[in-house]
Amino acid sequence: MKRVAGVWMSVAAAAVLLLAVSPRAILGAGGRAPQAETPGDQDLAIIVNQSNPVENLSMQELRTVFLGERSHWPNGRRITLVMMEPGFAERKAVLRDIYHMNESDFSRHFLQGLFTGEVFVSPKTLATPVGVRKFVFNVPGAIGYVRASDVDDTVKVIRIEGHLPDDKNYGLRIQAHPAK
Amino acid sequence: MWFRTSTILRSPNGFAARAARGRALVVLLGLAFVVPMLRAQQAPSGADEDKRTIQILLDRIDRLEARVAKLEAAPASQAAAPPPSKLEAANTVSVQPLSQAAPPPTPGPAEAEPQTETSVDHPEPERMDMSKTLLRIRGFGDVSFHGDNVHGDTSSFSLGQLNLFVTSDISEKFKFLGEIVFESGPDNFYGVPGGHRNEVGVDVERYLLQYSYNDYFNLAVGRYHTAIGYYNTAYHHSTWFQTTTGRPLLFQFEDSGGILPVHNVGASASGRIPSGPLGLHYVAEVGNGRASRAPLDDEPVQNEVDENNHKAFNLAVFSRPTALQGLQLGFSAYRDLLTPANEPTAIGETILAAHAIYMVPTFEWLNEALVIRHSPQGSSRVFQTPGFYTQISKRWGSYRPYFRYQYINASSSEPIFPDIKLRAGPSVGLRYDASESVALKLQYDYTALRQQPGSNGLTLQLGFTF
Repeated sequence: MKRVAGVWMSVAAAAVLLLAVSPRAILGAGGRAPQAETPGDQDLAIIVNQSNPVENLSMQELRTVFLGERSHWPNGRRITLVMMEPGFAERKAVLRDIYHMNESDFSRHFLQGLFTGEVFVSPKTLATPVGVRKFVFNVPGAIGYVRASDVDDTVKVIRIEGHLPDDKNYGLRIQAHPAK
Repeated sequence: MWFRTSTILRSPNGFAARAARGRALVVLLGLAFVVPMLRAQQAPSGADEDKRTIQILLDRIDRLEARVAKLEAAPASQAAAPPPSKLEAANTVSVQPLSQAAPPPTPGPAEAEPQTETSVDHPEPERMDMSKTLLRIRGFGDVSFHGDNVHGDTSSFSLGQLNLFVTSDISEKFKFLGEIVFESGPDNFYGVPGGHRNEVGVDVERYLLQYSYNDYFNLAVGRYHTAIGYYNTAYHHSTWFQTTTGRPLLFQFEDSGGILPVHNVGASASGRIPSGPLGLHYVAEVGNGRASRAPLDDEPVQNEVDENNHKAFNLAVFSRPTALQGLQLGFSAYRDLLTPANEPTAIGETILAAHAIYMVPTFEWLNEALVIRHSPQGSSRVFQTPGFYTQISKRWGSYRPYFRYQYINASSSEPIFPDIKLRAGPSVGLRYDASESVALKLQYDYTALRQQPGSNGLTLQLGFTF
């Protein structure tokens, strides 16, 4: 009797769980449409070292690189990801548009990646756009992000889906007024 | 000039700026002495040359004054400062030799080249070096309270595994990874108890030197988790990472009654397979395999000596299609030869596993099935042990309810693990993430057994990382 009750209780719990899972939740990690541009928004530039031969990345490739699922550039250099510290609008934009994660999910992802050995090196975290730019300038395999207005000729801006910042269809944007 | 210098000395700016201004001040003072000396040493016949020298020096002073003024203005608006051009970067490098009375620099192409991480000019060298040959330790642990209706069991608080996860980036290509686990309680090898209750022991669960050549070839040597299925390499020895309070029965550790060669000592190659949107990966492993010779209360992982010359091989292939992020489909095939002392012949062991996983931060659905095939040599009899589990959960804020159903069905005359027999049943639970690093879980388990009453168990667990 106890056995039957236990099984039925479990099956009922599973059924509730399955019903609660909407297709939206299941497919939530799929591609997202670019955020609509509002006044005051700024484009986010993805920057690499000037010696990096990569000119263009698809959004999927960019996500793969930022997730740490790719470890090397085509020229053999190991990829070193540079993140800005939590709280920066640039970082929020990257978490939203590239990772589709919040801060907790991001931390957990890299912790688990290091734990399994799939992620070879955890991201560097720097406090200022100048620091990010200098790091990318100094480290041949580095990739980072800054506001488009913070870019200079010490680093190289790569195209995302064939578009550069300020292009009409560019997909990475720092929202002046993020949606709640 | 002196007015400006005294202004510098009073200026309450950052250390780096003060150091730079200090160097500039030394240079200016040096020049103030050098110029009169040069003048005193001049010969009447070299008047034109001296004028030219003085003019050069004055030009340099002007440049330095301009730089000092720039440094004074910089700290107040450090974050919003215009980025340095390559030329400025080169000049920054050149200031230090100048303060050491080195020849004046002439910015050239070589100075504008990308520098190494150890560049003296880098503003945050300690951060850039954090991952270089630095031993980093991350801890995981859990404490549980468990009760069940199994005859002889008592409700108890239990210390879970205290796991020290150690990594070190040895170089750009090499990395060390280790898991040192302190765990309490007796061992259980295929139902044979070992060790003592309440005793805490230490195991080195992973011990790996990894070499990363590129995305397509990575090599690890040492003790690793065998790439059989998904769960074994996804969660290792931390309950905090796991949604549930423990591993599925199929993937229990060897010293907890598990039936799989969860750990192996040898070499493992892994990487991507060029396959476009299919996102194929491979893992190929060769190692000592699992011990099968009695007495079974000895270490089941053959860390030092293999009991036979036959090595265990494992090949796994899995796909992470780009069309659906979070989906992973894969299979693996493991082959070894076991030589148990209580069997007249060696036994071939083949483990075939397949998995379909969908995992995104808010939702997970894990499905794995495998069959363990034991075939005594010289006999036509084959023992097949099928097993599977399915686990589903969804997160709402800090709460994640979950459900798991698992099944193992081994023959009562199975030559390697006769104690397993039938084990099947559901688990339901709720995980609550009290913070980013602390999770509280409550789980109910029902396990049906062959020719025995089923068991009901309840576990409350606090898992954490530190």
